[in-house]
This record gives sequence, C-alpha cells and structure tokens, in this order.
Amino acid sequence: MQGSGIFELKIEDRLYVNKLETDQKFSHIQLDEEKCRECQSKICLTICPANVYTMAPGQPDRVIASYENCLECGACRVACPGKGLRWSYPNGGMGIRYRFG
Amino acid sequence: MSGLEEDRVKLDAVVVGGGPAGLMAGLKLAEAGAEVAVIERGVHPGSKNVSGLLYGGFLDKVIPRFWERAPLERPVTRRSLFYIGPEGELGMIMGPAHWQKPPYNRTYVVFRSKFDRWLAGEFEKAGGSLIDSAVVESLVIEGHGEEKRVKGVNIRNDEPFFADIVILADGAAGVVSAKAIEDLNLKRGSLPQTYGLGVKEIIGLPRGKIEDRFNLESGQGVAADYVGAPFSGMIGGGFIYTGWEALAVGFVVKIETLAKKRVKPYEVMDAFKANPAVRKYLEGGELLEYSAHIVPEGGGDAVPRLAAPGLLIAGDAAGLVDVSLYHEGANLAMASGAMAGEVAAAAIKKGDFGIEALGKYEKRLEESFVMKDLSKYRKTPEALDILSSMIEILPGRICNLLAEYFSQEVEPKELIQKKARRDFWKGLPKMKLMRALLALRKVL
Repeated sequence: MQGSGIFELKIEDRLYVNKLETDQKFSHIQLDEEKCRECQSKICLTICPANVYTMAPGQPDRVIASYENCLECGACRVACPGKGLRWSYPNGGMGIRYRFG
Repeated sequence: MSGLEEDRVKLDAVVVGGGPAGLMAGLKLAEAGAEVAVIERGVHPGSKNVSGLLYGGFLDKVIPRFWERAPLERPVTRRSLFYIGPEGELGMIMGPAHWQKPPYNRTYVVFRSKFDRWLAGEFEKAGGSLIDSAVVESLVIEGHGEEKRVKGVNIRNDEPFFADIVILADGAAGVVSAKAIEDLNLKRGSLPQTYGLGVKEIIGLPRGKIEDRFNLESGQGVAADYVGAPFSGMIGGGFIYTGWEALAVGFVVKIETLAKKRVKPYEVMDAFKANPAVRKYLEGGELLEYSAHIVPEGGGDAVPRLAAPGLLIAGDAAGLVDVSLYHEGANLAMASGAMAGEVAAAAIKKGDFGIEALGKYEKRLEESFVMKDLSKYRKTPEALDILSSMIEILPGRICNLLAEYFSQEVEPKELIQKKARRDFWKGLPKMKLMRALLALRKVL
C-alpha cells in the first residue's frame, strides 16, 4: 500500500490490516429482525466505522450484521434508537486485537 | 450470612476492565495489601483500547519518573491548532522552551496497546492478579430495593467471582456499567450521556521522514489539532500525533452530528486526509492499523452516581472525560481509579462496604481536580454546539481579511484595509458571533 494508496482506501483495505480473532461460533451482535425492519432511522448503517451493518441484498428493509468486522467501538449501541440491537462483548480473547490502539 | 456464602471463594476486590482506571485502582489496592484481581476481556490489557495523548501529571505522582520506563512514543514538544478550509489555513503553534527537555511537560503520544500492557505489569509487580481473556457479563447483586448490594461479578462460561467490593472500569462502551447504572438506579436525573466517535489510522513512515516533514529535532514530537472543512456540519475535529515511526491520524466527532449528516466515518477520514494541509504529511506512508472508539462527551452533568453498596465506578465508564480545550481522558481515568482503589482499600480494612463508607469516593472526586474540572467545564458540551457553527464562518473570514490586508494592489493601504474590514463584516451574523465569543469562555 505505497504511494497514493493510503488516500484511496476502501473499508476492506482498512479492516484487512487489523489483527482480529474471529469467533466462528458466537456472534456478539444480535439483531431483532422485526424491530430493525420497522426502524425508521437505521442509523447503524451510517455510523458504524467498519460497515458491520448493511441491507440484506434483495430483502427490502432487512438489516444484517457482519459481526466479524466489528471494532468494538460502541457507537451502534449508544446510537441505536430502537431496541432491535443487542450488543454484548465477543468471547474472552476474541474479536479485535489492536497492536497500536 | 448464609452457609452458602461462607463456602464460596471470595476476594477482597475485583476490578472490571484493565485500562488506565482499572489498573490504577488495582495498583492502589495491591499496594495496600488487598487481594485484588483485574479482569480484562482482551487477550492483554490495551488490546481493545484506543487513544492518542497521555497527560502524565497524575501518573507521575503514582509512578515517579514513569517516562523513563513506560513504552511511550514521542513527547509532545510542539502543539498546534489549525483551521483548514477552502480559504486556506489559519493556525497557532506553540512549543515553550521547557517542553523541549525531559519530562517534556509530561505529555506524550502513546499507543495504548503497549502502554496499558506496561501499566498492567506494574499492577502485577505490586502483587495484583491479572485475569485476561475473561468476559464479565454482569454484577452479582443480592438483596432488593434499598438493600441491594453488589457481591461480585458473573463471568461468561465460568463460575462467578465474589468480592467484598467491585470496581467497574469497563470503559466508554462498558456494557456492565451501563447495566449497573440501570439496575442500581444510579442515574442522577441530570443530562443523559452523549458520545463522540473517534476514528484513527496508524500510518507508518520512517523516523527521519517524520522528523523532516514536521521540522523536528531527533526525539521531538508534535500534537496537531485541526478544525474546519473536513468536519463541516459536525461538532468535532481532527488530529495528527507523531509516534517514533508512525503517525496517528484521525478525528473525533459528536455521533449525533455524524448521524444527522448521514456520512460514513471513513468518508470523514478520507476528506481529512485528502486536505492538502494534512496530505503532505502522510504521502508515501503505509496503513498499519484502523481503529475506532466512542468517547463520553456529556461532561460533568452526565456523570451518574459512582458509588453503591459494594460498588465503585471509575474512568470513562463513569463519564469522567474533560471535553474542553484540554481533552483529558486517561489522566482523569487514572486519578479516579486511584481514588476508587484507595477508598476501597480503606473500606476493606474496616470491613464496611456500605454507601456511607464508599460514598467517600464521590466526595474525594468532588474535592479533586477531576470533578472540579468537569464542573468548571459543565457548559462546554452546549458551548461547542454554538462554537462549531462559528467555526464554519469566522476562521475563513479571518483568512480572507488577512489576504486582503496584505494584498499587493497598488492602492493606498488605508483603502485596502477599509475594504478588507468591510468584506469581513459583510453579512456576518453578529449576534451569533457574540454568543460564540461568550461560549468560547466556557471551553477555555
């Protein structure tokens, strides 16, 4: 990623450099499909710095969470206006592992 | 006491979260001879943590001359604040003489993954136990109503930990403290907490290149803050901090304003990095890490009750962040953690964990710089709302004013200056400006 590379980063490029232990068996983010569908703001789609929340392709109004990209910043949990999002911690030692922080 | 309670294994104190607040609380308890464990959900302390500068005034009192031993990046020998906008740049730079030599005003760039791990080592050296990779789900609360008392913590997929006192230091995004504030009715009924979102990139560059670009002597460092165009319509600003061989580049903006503008955090990052005033420092660098974290920004009025029977809350989990000009977080976390640790140690000695005994923690905070600063800057959060609208207008106007003042038109200076002043005031919302100037006092 030399030269002008750092000025044209996609979110995937950014997440790629991070060290992260993915827990294949446990998602620390649970969405209530119905509540999230009805949510007017869907603010999680905007504020998540890791694009964890996206609209499910081909399914109108359905929000899905790619928990494995989560930076555990806490933004979605404090900004979610509804009760559709349940954010707990990843299991011990799993998830983001900052080398600088 | 029930027979069951006598049988269970119990520590003097359990601290939830191995950041600056929790480790400092643990250190004070361990030094007082208490049996204390700090429980950290990450693989090591610091592995989940993000921040930029370390103000080490308080740390120096607890660990004298920490700068000779702690894993620090460059000292901050120069600070600056710049407006960057379409009209150009406008800024202030300062680097007092005594900042140029140890201990460099005790202000350092740090990478928390390294620093917190070091602090955890100091805690262990004092005799404390560090338990990593363990997730505290919630408090063990016994009794009902007014009789509720914290007895320990529930660990995910494991046995609970019992203790005479629990100190919550689970940070800004603390799930356990958020639940505890609800369950134990610790809300104060003043303002709800509000949050900023910080996003940061670590950009690797050779040591010499950093020193050349920032015009630094070997071993010097910079903390540069930015407001202006990349953050237009939002409340917040950007920063560049120099590490030894990497730059920390990022911003903090109020989440509500990010949401209102409907812009993705990394798009704000792109706009900041693309600004010519910033871009020139980053050219040719390599992305090493991308991080983000929320910051409590509600100030003193959003701080909940911080003591309950068997419980104390410290650091970011308690909302102890100074959002004024000073932007202090870790310093207040360490100070509050230390006070929590000392009050807990005294409570253990007396065997009294009631609200009278533990309430002394809140009292000590009130009497210390921690709550005094948060009280002084109580109005800062709302003042920032007013100020940020002026940042959209005023610095750009000043840029233009100066440009016209120094114009090389062949005209008498008197005429040039008169026109410059007229242009400056034209259409300027004067009431708004007055309000902003008054608001500025609440931030400084």
